[in-house]
Amino acid sequence: MFGYVRPSEPRLSEEDKQRFRAAYCGLCRTLGERHGLSAPFILNYDFAFLSILLWPPETGTVLHRPCLAHPVQGRDCFPQNPALELAADCSVILAWWQLQDALTDPGKGKGKYRLLSGLLKNAYERTVRNRPNFDRTTREQLERLRYLEQAGCPTMDEPADTFARLLSGVSDEVKEPVRRRVLQQFLYHLGRWIYLVDAADDLEDDFSSGSYNPLIRRFSLTNGTLTEEAKETLALSLDHSIRLMAAAFELWDFGVWAPVIRSVVYEGLFLVGRSVLDRTFHTAVWPRSAARNKEKL
Amino acid sequence: MTDPYEVLNVPNTATDEEIKKAYRALARKYHPDNYHDNPLADLAQEKMKEINAAYDAIQRERSGHGRAAPNYGGGQTAAYQEYTGSSQGTSAEAQILYQVRWAVMMGGSLEQAERLLAQIPESRRGAEWSFLMGQVCYRRGWVDEARRCYQAACAREPGNIEYRSALDNLNQNRTAYRPDGYGMSSTCSGGELCGRLACTYLMCNLGGCFYCC
Repeated sequence: MFGYVRPSEPRLSEEDKQRFRAAYCGLCRTLGERHGLSAPFILNYDFAFLSILLWPPETGTVLHRPCLAHPVQGRDCFPQNPALELAADCSVILAWWQLQDALTDPGKGKGKYRLLSGLLKNAYERTVRNRPNFDRTTREQLERLRYLEQAGCPTMDEPADTFARLLSGVSDEVKEPVRRRVLQQFLYHLGRWIYLVDAADDLEDDFSSGSYNPLIRRFSLTNGTLTEEAKETLALSLDHSIRLMAAAFELWDFGVWAPVIRSVVYEGLFLVGRSVLDRTFHTAVWPRSAARNKEKL
Repeated sequence: MTDPYEVLNVPNTATDEEIKKAYRALARKYHPDNYHDNPLADLAQEKMKEINAAYDAIQRERSGHGRAAPNYGGGQTAAYQEYTGSSQGTSAEAQILYQVRWAVMMGGSLEQAERLLAQIPESRRGAEWSFLMGQVCYRRGWVDEARRCYQAACAREPGNIEYRSALDNLNQNRTAYRPDGYGMSSTCSGGELCGRLACTYLMCNLGGCFYCC
C-alpha cells in the first residue's frame, strides 16, 4: 500500500503517539526477523495501521531495541505478535504481486523491479505457505484489476472494488466472527478509499504517460487535473467510504488503539484526501516531514 | 447480565444527568440512521438494545419502579413496504424487477439481484431498472455508480418521489455521527482546515526506507 493512512496528530496524546510509533517499529522488526533484511524496504504506515486493527486484546509490553536505522539510540517497539506477523506477511505478498505486475507492464524501466523482486523472492515463497488464502485473493484481484485496466473500464467503483476486496481479504484470517465482519467492512472501504486516493494522486503522471487511470475515463478528462465538479463528485465517494469505516469502527472495541483509529476515521483520512485533491499532499507534507526526519536522524 | 453502568461507560456513582448524557451520546452513535443500508446494521441494533436495556435497568434501580427508556429505535426492524412502483404489470420484466426489489429491500443476495437485472435486455431497461441497479451499487458501497443510476432513473421518470429522494439522499452527503470535538465531515468542506494540514500529521513515510520516527 502507499502510506496515505495517517492519524491526525493533535487528536492524540503523547502516549498514543509513542504507542503507534512502537507498532510501526514493531512491524519493521517483524519484517526483518520474519522475512529477512530486505523486507523492511516495503514498510509503510498503512500496514502499521493494519496491524493495530488486527491487534490482540493484550497490548503487550514495549521493548527498547537498537535497529538498523537507529543502531545506537535504539527505538521502542512491540515484540512480534500475531497481528504484526499477519500485517508483515500481507505486506510481503502484496508487494510481491505488485512487483510482478510492474514487471509485466510494458514500457517501464524494469531494473528496479527486478532487483526488488529478487530481494523479496525468498520471503514471498516462505510467506505464501502460511497465507495461501490471502495470496490467492491478492493474485485474483490484481489480475481482475489488470483486466479492467486493459479493457479501459469507464467506472471508478469497479477497479476500486478489486483493491477493496483484496484488503478485506485480510479479515478472513480473523477468528472472532463479529470482529471479522467489522473488519471485513472496514477494510473493504479502507481499500476502496486507498485506491481512489491513489488514483487522484497519480492522475497527472498517468495522464502524461498515457497509463490507465479510472478518473480519466470516469470524468472524461482532457488534461491531468480534476475539475472542481469532478473533485466534489470524487469526494462524495471518499466521504461515503470514510463514514462506513467510522460506523464499522464503533462496533468493535479496539482497546488502547481506539484513539489512533478514531483520529484516522474521523479526521486523518479527510485531511489526506483533501490534500491529495488540492495537490498539496507531497508539497506540504513531504518536505516538512523529510526535514524533520533529517533532524531526528 | 452485564453491568449496566459498564455498558454506558459511567461509574455507578454517576448522577442521573451524567447517565442521561452518556446514554444519549451512545444512542446517537448507534442510532439506526447511522447504519441505514449498512451490512453491519444488525450489530448496531444489538448495541442499541444493550444500551436501552442498561439505561432502563439503571432507571428502574434508581427510581425503585419500572420506567421505560426513551428507546432510540433499538427494537426497530426494517419493515418491508409493499412495492407500489411504476413498472407494474405481469410481463416477465416486471416480475424480474419485482424479485430484485424484494431481494434488495430484504437484504438478500446482491449477486443474485445483479444477475436478474442482467437478464433484462438493454433496450428494455427503464427507470425502475436503473433505480434498482442503483440500490445494488449502493449496498455494495459503490456510491459513484449508485448516483449515476439514480440520476438515470430520475431523468427517465422525473415525477417519481422514491427515485428523487434516493438521489437527494446520496447527494446530500448527510451528516453522520461524529465524536465530541471532531468537526470534520467531508474531504471537500470549507477551507479552514487546509492550513492546518502540514502540521497535522503525526508520521511521515520515506517511501519505505529503514526508518522509524
